[in-house]
Amino acid sequence: VDDADGFAQLEPVGRPHAGSHAADGDGPDEPLAERGGVGGLAETVGADLSQVLHGEAAWEYVVPVRMGDTLTARQKVADVTQRQGKRGGTMTLVTIDTEFTNQRGELAVRRTDTLIEREI
Amino acid sequence: MTGLTTTDLPTVPVGLAEGDEMPLTTAGPMTRTDFVRYAGASGDFHPLHHDEIYARDAGLPCVFAMGLLHAGILGDQLARWVGPDNIRRFAVRFTGQVWPGDELTFTGRVERVEDGDGVRLAHLVLTVTRQTGDPAITATATAQIG
Repeated sequence: VDDADGFAQLEPVGRPHAGSHAADGDGPDEPLAERGGVGGLAETVGADLSQVLHGEAAWEYVVPVRMGDTLTARQKVADVTQRQGKRGGTMTLVTIDTEFTNQRGELAVRRTDTLIEREI
Repeated sequence: MTGLTTTDLPTVPVGLAEGDEMPLTTAGPMTRTDFVRYAGASGDFHPLHHDEIYARDAGLPCVFAMGLLHAGILGDQLARWVGPDNIRRFAVRFTGQVWPGDELTFTGRVERVEDGDGVRLAHLVLTVTRQTGDPAITATATAQIG
């Protein structure tokens, strides 16, 4: 994660696995990736939403965030690894780094999330 | 879990020592309404957290809480204890799901104190535990205490 220039704005990739859940009208009516949250993260990286767990989250606070600040978030997929699950099947671990920069260009908060996608 | 005001919060480093414990707090019983309120607050509209039919289709008994909901409550307690500006790092590991009806207990303890660079840091371990004794979150944090 040393190469900050490697960060890129992630674009929504649609809902590749929404499947029958959306077809019956019970799913959200717009892509989760456009709404934010961890569900949005999962959808952004093209994971199967119904099989994704939030494994870990960590925040490093560098510069305090105050009222009136404007934060810009940049996200990137930092790592993707696979390992065998305890009950068989493959688990895919996706590490997503998010850097929040304030209006003065200072790094304010660095966040790391780990998403776990279970194989169906 | 409500009523956190800025006047409650320490503004200068709190002198903690190894073994000191965060005031014990509880939350719950957690409700589906709590999950929906947090969906609106956070923007996390993953249907597993609000859509019972979707959750059952995914093989679950019912909807369950976003981990960041109780992680956020834990973060509130941490901020009350050490002061928000003194938190350097906060890391949570989700070890089990939180279901409607769950009653949660929040704990924290100073594991180690470290001096360096003119500041004193406390390394903390924190937990969120269900009424069953199962941990929902194990967490670590680093706070400036001097």
